[in-house]
Amino acid sequence: MSTFRRCITGLLLMLLCATAAAHKPSDSYLSLRREPERLVGRWDIALRDLDGVLDLDRNRDDRIDWGEVRTRRDEIDRYANARLRVSNGAPCPLQVTDHAIDRHSDGAYLVLTLTAPCGADGALSVEYSALFDVDAQHRGLLKLETAGGAVLSAVLSREQPHQTFEPGGASRWQAFAGYVRDGIVHIAIGYDHILFLIALLLPAVLGRDGRTWRPVPRLSVAAATVFKIVTAFTLAHSVTLSLAALGVIQLPSRLVESVIALSVLLTAIDNVMPFLPARRWTIAFAFGLVHGFGFASVLADLELPRSALALSLVGFNVGVELGQLAIVALLIPLAYLLRRTALYQPVVLRGGSVAIGLLAAGWLAERSLDLKLMPF
Amino acid sequence: MSRSFVSAVAIVACALTFMPRAHAEPYRPARDSEVLETLPRMSERGASPAVRALRELHARDPSNLDVAVRLAQTQISAARAAADPRLSGQAQATLAVWWTQESPPIPVLLLRAAIRQNRHEFDAAKADLERVIAQQPAQAQAWLDLASLQQATGDLAGAAHSCSQVYESTNNAIGTVCRAGVDALTGRSVEAYAALEQTVAQQRLTTQPAGVQTWALTLLAEIAERLGRNDDAERWYRQSLAVDPSDSYVLAAYADFLLDRARANDVVALIAADTAIDGLLLRRVQAERALGAPTAQAGIETLAARFDALRERGDRVHRREESRFRLALAQQPAAALELALENWAVQKEPLDARIALEAALAANRPEAAADVVRWIRASKLQDVRLAPLLQRVAAP
Repeated sequence: MSTFRRCITGLLLMLLCATAAAHKPSDSYLSLRREPERLVGRWDIALRDLDGVLDLDRNRDDRIDWGEVRTRRDEIDRYANARLRVSNGAPCPLQVTDHAIDRHSDGAYLVLTLTAPCGADGALSVEYSALFDVDAQHRGLLKLETAGGAVLSAVLSREQPHQTFEPGGASRWQAFAGYVRDGIVHIAIGYDHILFLIALLLPAVLGRDGRTWRPVPRLSVAAATVFKIVTAFTLAHSVTLSLAALGVIQLPSRLVESVIALSVLLTAIDNVMPFLPARRWTIAFAFGLVHGFGFASVLADLELPRSALALSLVGFNVGVELGQLAIVALLIPLAYLLRRTALYQPVVLRGGSVAIGLLAAGWLAERSLDLKLMPF
Repeated sequence: MSRSFVSAVAIVACALTFMPRAHAEPYRPARDSEVLETLPRMSERGASPAVRALRELHARDPSNLDVAVRLAQTQISAARAAADPRLSGQAQATLAVWWTQESPPIPVLLLRAAIRQNRHEFDAAKADLERVIAQQPAQAQAWLDLASLQQATGDLAGAAHSCSQVYESTNNAIGTVCRAGVDALTGRSVEAYAALEQTVAQQRLTTQPAGVQTWALTLLAEIAERLGRNDDAERWYRQSLAVDPSDSYVLAAYADFLLDRARANDVVALIAADTAIDGLLLRRVQAERALGAPTAQAGIETLAARFDALRERGDRVHRREESRFRLALAQQPAAALELALENWAVQKEPLDARIALEAALAANRPEAAADVVRWIRASKLQDVRLAPLLQRVAAP
């Protein structure tokens, strides 16, 4: 029950804290998407910045309420129209179709929904001049999603208020390659995933004989085991990664990270004192489901365009698999060669598993209790 | 085993039902009276009637030097007091007519240097101050600003020279404080402390603006802390806060002092939960975490989002704070070290050295801080907080 209470307290606090504007340099967030017949998007401008130019706080109570925004809609739209121009060769007038409110890390922003009749062809140029005259350090952070699904970004400043995006821009292939790279990087720096794989694969060059391990006779036997384990892990984390990335399931990251640490710990214990099912691919599958949620939180941080979700999902997953295969390619030949030596079982398998288990226990304590115990 | 699986499933199920969505959608408020945003007080956001009047004058004639300088001065001191970068950007906009000129009038050069230093454009700020000094060799303000810039960037010999110029061209009290600050970083802490104590005791500061008083008192506190005289340090910090209870620099330094003494409760009492200043929020969240408060997690998420937003706009001003965040709260020592070293390349104050040493140790890469160690040894900086770190970094 304490978990519920903590969730709810956290939510309440977030709502309470969100009402005071924090001190951050002034930024607006402009997201545009090119569709076949038009350009659509949203423009988030801090209420505090709008107050600076349009004097929203009419009753001088140092607070901005919805009435003070809603009744000024025409002026706000005129300001927006004068300060942002887009064209794709021919001028292409912007229209503000809706107003809403959203919260960023530093306070409340007015969200302007935009649409403009520019087609998806030709270069798109953006000319931005909001707020520069009152705050020379203001920035417009622009993200443009091309018709091909690539996301291009630009920082618009007083010194550089124009940006032209050539048609095509970054190709789908480049975007895909980028996601593959992100996947590889995540595996390479994700110690917990690497250790989980190592703990799972260390016994792959041994066969289970009751409660003891015995070296496999041929490489093909080890290879078949490894293949089953890696395939099961891949299938499982692909399923949960996709579900999470599509927004079907969302889990709090602390829980996911804690269970990932638990999975490493249990696998390591199982190497020393077998208690899990002997068919390791079942373990790989069960825990792989949890690791998938871990991958998904990384993917979420990359802020994917909706239209390119499939592309990025596949790319990121391919990257993760490549990273995994690299680990297998390094680990298995070495383990196979060493499997009969006197050192393999006591030192590599048991010693290594104890070390991995200790590390995982530390992570588990840290992540579940929200402490900082270990250097990484 | 089965029990842990069952409880894991139970936790998952609970979380699925009760967790809010990670990203809330934009919404349309239901009532006109719904308060969306609480602004900083008028005086703190450059909107007091006096400033409004200046702004109107400025709008009518943006090239009127007197009006622009007065308005920009107000905005810069408000930016400093509230640690609010928006006001610094407003000051820059006020000076737009002169901003890109090679040699604008002296008052503009001084203000432009202050804004540039605030944005860590140290070379450009220094060039502006040197231009002022070339025209008016006895310009005390320029020498004082130059001394502070040189001290921040680790040019301690230059800072000592600039302080002596302050001493010669203005009243002795400011020159003494200036010099003591540099002496304390170059192996003469005890002498600096004595000189400062004498200046404060002789009441030579009461005729000075509050800023000079808090500067001297805070410096005393910091030197006492580096010398390990903790009771004295605390007394000076409190005296400094009595002069200006909202000075964010002093609040941050005192909070660090308290965190080092494991007095997290006092930090929580010192810094309000809704502080608008990232550097202060960072310290409060560290304290909340030390106390095991459930609010710490929300604070960590807020800070992470703020640092992300700064990176997105291309700002590199907060590397010191972000490094500390990554180290102390986000458990990313490798990233913390990278930031700390990038920061060390431009800023070299004791706090910068400390975060670099701590991050290098946490990341198990003590050799990465070799340059920091060399620098501290060469400058003869005395600091009881750094000594054990130096030992651990230097030991193989």
